[in-house]
Amino acid sequence: MNTRQVAKGDRAFFAISTAAAMFTMALVFAVLIFLSIRSWSTFTEQGLGFITGSTWDASSTPGTFQILPMLVGSLVVSILGLIIAVPTSVAVAYFIEYMAPPKVAKLATLLIDLLAALPSVVIGLWGLYVLIPQAVSWSQLLSTHLSFIPFFRTDFENAQGAPFIAGWTVAIMIIPIITSVSREVMGRVDKELVSAASALGGTNFSTMRRVVLPTAKSGILGGVLLGLGRALGETVAIFFVLNLVFETNWYRVLEPKGGNVASLIVAKFSEATATEINALMAAGVVLFILTLIVNMIATSIVQRAERKMAS
Amino acid sequence: MSTLEFLPRPKDAAPWRIRSNSLVMKITFASTIPTIAAITIGKVFQIPGPIVLLIVFLPLQLLASSLAAASTRGRRGIADAQLNVGVLFATIFVAIMLGSVLFSVVSFGLNAISPHFAYQNNVYVTSTTSLEYGGAGHALLGTVLVVGLASLIAVPVGIAVAVYLTETRGRLRGPVRFFAQSMSGLPSIVAGLFIFAVFISTGLSRPAGWLASAALVLLMLPTVIRMSEEVLKLVPGDLRSAALALGAPQRKAFFLVIMPAAKTGLVTAILLGIARVVGETAPLLLTMRVNPNTNANVFSGDMATLPTYIFGFLTAGFDTGRARSWAAAFLLLAVVGLIFGAARLLSARSIKK
Repeated sequence: MNTRQVAKGDRAFFAISTAAAMFTMALVFAVLIFLSIRSWSTFTEQGLGFITGSTWDASSTPGTFQILPMLVGSLVVSILGLIIAVPTSVAVAYFIEYMAPPKVAKLATLLIDLLAALPSVVIGLWGLYVLIPQAVSWSQLLSTHLSFIPFFRTDFENAQGAPFIAGWTVAIMIIPIITSVSREVMGRVDKELVSAASALGGTNFSTMRRVVLPTAKSGILGGVLLGLGRALGETVAIFFVLNLVFETNWYRVLEPKGGNVASLIVAKFSEATATEINALMAAGVVLFILTLIVNMIATSIVQRAERKMAS
Repeated sequence: MSTLEFLPRPKDAAPWRIRSNSLVMKITFASTIPTIAAITIGKVFQIPGPIVLLIVFLPLQLLASSLAAASTRGRRGIADAQLNVGVLFATIFVAIMLGSVLFSVVSFGLNAISPHFAYQNNVYVTSTTSLEYGGAGHALLGTVLVVGLASLIAVPVGIAVAVYLTETRGRLRGPVRFFAQSMSGLPSIVAGLFIFAVFISTGLSRPAGWLASAALVLLMLPTVIRMSEEVLKLVPGDLRSAALALGAPQRKAFFLVIMPAAKTGLVTAILLGIARVVGETAPLLLTMRVNPNTNANVFSGDMATLPTYIFGFLTAGFDTGRARSWAAAFLLLAVVGLIFGAARLLSARSIKK
């Protein structure tokens, strides 16, 4: 084999890998461009009202499509999920890295990975038949005893379909993501730093407060944002446990009035008219841009944290 | 002879063992009293179990552990004790959640599942058909075909991208890594909408299995890329340099040296990518229509998959439908578990090596 043949073969090898890489990068833009083209008519017809209004009416012509309640609902459910998932995940990550004996830590890591592999439709099934009966009784307690807090005020008997329950479902889906990222960054905290802190007389708690958490802070934040991205895009599990209502419910999490952009798409898609499908595409574009921004911030934070810790 | 006589350690000496009786008492009280109190309060006031854990047991346990720690280690011990209680509580909470999901799938699933459920199809099943007839065999086949086709595309492309990231000096490695990472957060429903917009609403194709595969490729790629990149990075640089120094062209160095060295890791990457998408439901709902009959042709006709099967029977809303969806969830979880177990086994072996 002479040099020229070698060069030719290698060039082909590199060309193929470069092509694959460019294809992957182009996919992100292709998704954005194609969906935008399909939904352009909706954006021009509905104007800004698409994201500030709260009417969804496909029966009249030309139809009114506005998704504010769904957007707000997505945010409310995601924030509820984060409130439950973030402390839990950080605690579990701390347990795995600093408290558990090696065997238990290994088992716990396995369990977290397993939790991450649970399909969302199975979580939805579980949420519908196992979680809802439980969570309804929890929310009854909240609404009878803590109704002086505006969040827990409700005009309804039953909390079935309320954002509160969807928040729990989402929390279960994002706990593994936040945990595994936090575990990774906590494990990369310099062990000598931790030993130094205890040698100087630090307790476990002060070592965690003053050494582990400050060092791992940015990495954990990245993990939280990755979880938020997942929570915003979660579809099927929420579809089963949340009641979609076109009426903006800003904070009353126990009322069975919720919204979710992704679930809206599934709920309306099968019987949608052509213009309605365009409107759903537009909702998809809004959702995609939202999650893309969250994920890009998360990715850059995590990558920077990893680089900083590696050096 | 040395003047220093070493005294043998007394056989029963164990300085690490807790010897003080009062300490044993404190630990025993701190670990039993909150439990007993919580159970009693729960029984007396008729509060549901999970609530008792959160609003009665947790504060009591925090208080008891703090007291015990304060009396043994002074004020500095309190924060440590609370940290321990809080962390353990959170961990056990996650374990209970996972346990509850697995337990309910297994126990409800076993009610409806039987050997024929894994191979019969659904053609004559209605709300009144008893569970002895019909099954999710067609859906299992559909899942294997759709996910298989998706892997056929996503795996080579994903590994090629990983090669670009690790083996070349391409200028765009940073942006490519960044976009691949960001894509891992692509909502699955958006992937479905995208394929719908490109192929179905333009009239290029009717809803079919291969469109679902195309949507899954989008979701699978980021996982495969990330995992393969990590694996390829682990291959020692010396191995690369040695192959190149012996005169191997880059492509041969990759296919004959680097790839075999990273083989098990790459297989793990593929398996984790498959595990990521095998339970995806939302994109399948948009890109294919559910078929109660068996269809082995991915390229035309309607087709069922396990996730859409579960979804269909859940939204149908009758009792046997509910049982069927649990049984299908059991099957789906078994598939995920198999893939996941295989990936674990392989990665454990590659670490040992």
